[in-house]
Amino acid sequence: MREKLIYAFSIVAMALIAWDLYRIFMVLPDEANQGAIYRIIYFHVPAAITAMVGFFVAMVMSALYLITRNLKFDSVAAAVTEVGVVFAAVNLVTGSIWARVIWGIWWTWDARLTSMLICWLLYAGYLMLRRATDEPTQRARLSAVLSIFSFVDVIIVWKSIEWWRTQHPAPVLSIRNGGGMAPGMESPLWWNVLAMALVATCLILLRMRQEGIRRELDALRRYAHAL
Amino acid sequence: MDDRNFAFMFYGFLAAWVIVLGYVISIAMRESRLRKELDRVRQMIENRQN
Amino acid sequence: MAAILYLRQTLAVAGKDLRAELRSKETINASLSFALVILLLFSFAFDPGAETVRDISGGLLWLVFAFAGALILNRSFARELMNDCLDSLLASPTSGSQLFLGKCIANFVLLMAVEALCLPVFGIFYNVAWTRQAGWLAVVFALGTWALTVIGTMFSALTVNLRLRELMLPILVYPMMVPALMAAIQLTTVLMTGAPPGSENAIWLRLLVGFDIIFTILGIGLVEVVLIG
Repeated sequence: MREKLIYAFSIVAMALIAWDLYRIFMVLPDEANQGAIYRIIYFHVPAAITAMVGFFVAMVMSALYLITRNLKFDSVAAAVTEVGVVFAAVNLVTGSIWARVIWGIWWTWDARLTSMLICWLLYAGYLMLRRATDEPTQRARLSAVLSIFSFVDVIIVWKSIEWWRTQHPAPVLSIRNGGGMAPGMESPLWWNVLAMALVATCLILLRMRQEGIRRELDALRRYAHAL
Repeated sequence: MDDRNFAFMFYGFLAAWVIVLGYVISIAMRESRLRKELDRVRQMIENRQN
Repeated sequence: MAAILYLRQTLAVAGKDLRAELRSKETINASLSFALVILLLFSFAFDPGAETVRDISGGLLWLVFAFAGALILNRSFARELMNDCLDSLLASPTSGSQLFLGKCIANFVLLMAVEALCLPVFGIFYNVAWTRQAGWLAVVFALGTWALTVIGTMFSALTVNLRLRELMLPILVYPMMVPALMAAIQLTTVLMTGAPPGSENAIWLRLLVGFDIIFTILGIGLVEVVLIG
């Protein structure tokens, strides 16, 4: 059942991405100032949205694990966080390339990029913690607590770095110029959000299946050593 | 289509895809490793039971 | 009545930690020496001329405190591992939150002591008149140090049973500290120029206070999960 779901999701996701790419490259007119590079926004922003939604879901799953102590919730949290880290990396790299084109520098301490970098570091730490803990229940417990702390911090980081950046003006990556995007140009963005969410879901399901195998392996190992 | 900064856009998309594909490959590798380990442990259990 | 008992037990834990530390003085010596050495090294890295120093004074100080504090915070729960002290503490009538708060208070006192000793040295090395806003400086230091302490003690508890404890603690703590550090740095830099924090800096003060409150509550709530299960 799970297999069929994964295949279905991936096919829909790929179809959607193909259609989106067609729209992004063929149909959309050019942006006046930036040339071709602006089209990268259609991956840059959806990646960020997917990552942040993922981190929120991970926090909810972590809280559910702590309440129910069902290891399945821990698997979901781990899978979602891992995929979120990947999409956050996509966001950072595409943002960096965009900055290189627009301002000639590879990195800019813009509010959003900086906040995303801190998020990435926080959740990379989460993945490191999971790797450093061998015992499954301890690993689930500690990473659940870390996930909750990290998301609370994510919210604070985003608000505070926004304030910091408005006090020290620096080149601001105006991702959405307050709704200044022409109407035809905005809808592919949201379609791509859906596409990326589907891709993310596929990856998460795959990863969760792996966690299931891992759990089975742990159980069998314990049984084997008991014999 | 406007050709300005085309190269960089290409690099940008390439980077995004490389990251995601790299992750998919790492999942696949981890899965095959886990399955091998699972078979090994199952084999070990069977041997011990016999 | 219950509140007084709670407070007494918490202070008992804090007192135990402080007494143990003041008798051996190993952590506070290590932390203080580390802080002074970094201050010295920074003076070689940046030319301590008048103009630029005032701009970076906040950042410099708080980096020093964050690094030196990591030494204190790492030891906080790690020292209980020997002879099963941690298990006996957990089995005692004090709740996990009292243990956590007690250790936070002890670490807070130690870190504030290190900071208080660093400040005159900083003033001399870098020729910064920090005494002009001493009152506000004390407030900012207290709030920022409490933020460092709360997060650090929580993660000290989290990583206490891990193999790579000394490595994991800084990796986990520093990104989480960024908002509080930023606020403390902004406020300290302003105070170092001799001006009181104006209305445009009120937002940083609010951020620090909010950060402290939120993470203290979160820590008290989750510490038992981390320590006991």
